[in-house]
Amino acid sequence: MIHPSQTSKNPTLRALLPGDAGAGSGGDGFRKADLAEIDASCRVPVLFFFLSGLAWLIAGSLLALVASIKLHSPGFLAAWEWLVFSNVRTAHLNTVIYGFASQVSVGVSVWLMCRLCRIPLPAPGLVTVANLFYNLGVTVGVGGILLGDSTAIEWLEMPRYATPILFSSYALIAVWTIVTFRLRAERHLYVSQWYLLAAVLWFPWLYGTAQVMLLLEPVRGVVQAAVNWWFAHNVLGLWFTPIGLASIYYFIPKVIGRPIHSYYLSVLGFWSLALFYNWNGMHHLVGGPLPAWMITISIVASVMMLIPVITVAINHHFTMLGHFGKMRHSPTLRFIVFGAVSYTLASLQGIASALRSVSEVTHFTHHTIAHAHLGMYAFFSMVMFGAMYYILPRITQREWPCNGLISLHFWGVALGIVLYVVPMSLMGFIQGTKLNDPTIRFLDVVQFTLPWLQLRTLAGLLMVAGHVAFVANVGWLLVRMFEPYRKPVVRILTGEAETLAAGK
Amino acid sequence: MPVISFILLGSVVLLPAAALWALRWAASTGQFRCPDKVALLPFDESEPVGVATDQILGNRR
Repeated sequence: MIHPSQTSKNPTLRALLPGDAGAGSGGDGFRKADLAEIDASCRVPVLFFFLSGLAWLIAGSLLALVASIKLHSPGFLAAWEWLVFSNVRTAHLNTVIYGFASQVSVGVSVWLMCRLCRIPLPAPGLVTVANLFYNLGVTVGVGGILLGDSTAIEWLEMPRYATPILFSSYALIAVWTIVTFRLRAERHLYVSQWYLLAAVLWFPWLYGTAQVMLLLEPVRGVVQAAVNWWFAHNVLGLWFTPIGLASIYYFIPKVIGRPIHSYYLSVLGFWSLALFYNWNGMHHLVGGPLPAWMITISIVASVMMLIPVITVAINHHFTMLGHFGKMRHSPTLRFIVFGAVSYTLASLQGIASALRSVSEVTHFTHHTIAHAHLGMYAFFSMVMFGAMYYILPRITQREWPCNGLISLHFWGVALGIVLYVVPMSLMGFIQGTKLNDPTIRFLDVVQFTLPWLQLRTLAGLLMVAGHVAFVANVGWLLVRMFEPYRKPVVRILTGEAETLAAGK
Repeated sequence: MPVISFILLGSVVLLPAAALWALRWAASTGQFRCPDKVALLPFDESEPVGVATDQILGNRR
């Protein structure tokens, strides 16, 4: 239970809790809400974030396909000037990063915070307003990019008239998270809450600082590049990674019914990530005109990332030990374990790529693109898919309608991303070696990449097929929400669904 | 450049201070004690330890 002194001083905050959830139990603080009650309170706001995120995922996937085809067939859609490669590729990045990944991660964070704080979702209006602002910001931003208004700053391409809208949304989510944390009915913090709290506070700071230093009062010269990569790398490490790891630390134990292997290791992993990650960005500028000490410190910090990465890998592996067979039956576990393994691989690849000797070969090649997809898709997006497979049936109180679509989704995206990352990583190394050889003509290097780029389009098609299957299954699930409740053949809610339906 | 100075100063002073405060708060409120108990927080009476959830695939629908 929450400490009495913490709640009794906050009658205004208490009023934000729905129903009688703010009522104290014998002066000890708030009562702990049932999980089904928490899930029901999250239904509308979390659904909003998930559905709008999935709409952006489909848009982003189509943009990715167009960009990928244009790389080996430049005449494709050449008559449409707003679909020129530079626009499409940039719009793809911004739709999947800000439209899909960020929105779904906020939905997952909101649900996790409520469950771990053991309270129904407070101030749902605040979350819904944040969602509306968010979608408005992404629409204006991506529309601006397609109209040629890109800022040309990597990961911050949205025009400056869109970013204050997005910043407002991030700030609202941060405020909501702090309010929820203050209202918690469970005094102790689980490691997932450490990660979530840190992420929602780090990101507005990162985003706001980068906006000021690059767009509002731009710094000059190479400092722009330094700020740019400080931001771009920390978006991955201090926004997506903490939310991904928070989800893994929650869902693996929940699905297999076993606590994490070592709680101490999980806390060590969090604090070492917080200490080392934010120094990493400068390793993208190896060979650039920056002071050598800045890049060297960044490389050292990148290597120090072995500490959080290995602690997380050990913890996940030993938690799963003896339970890998459950992946055959749980869609959540399939996606989450795939994502957890990919986190380790992406981190090790990133650490290796930070070294000067490796970076001199892989920089400016498709190896970097493969690495970005290993981190953002094979790790983060797969974890978010897994989380949605767990959360959606609980907040809608309906079972997944079609197991075949779940399998199609998993195998489509899993095979697709493997077919994307492995050949592209290999090709990047060869491409880099050729580029560093002055006896090889640049055009020959470009022609060498063509078959590999065609393979990449095939991989993209597999992923798009998986996305369509998932969206179809989600749509079907929503249709079922409006039908009368029927007892499903297999229940994943272990009694909760039946109890709630009977009470309606 | 007052805005940038403010941001840089904030990054150098306020963020490490916030991290130190969070560590101190965690230690003083017992967040690092009883790790075995804290590891059980995702579970409760309706979804207890030892019960697998989400086992839906491999069954005919």
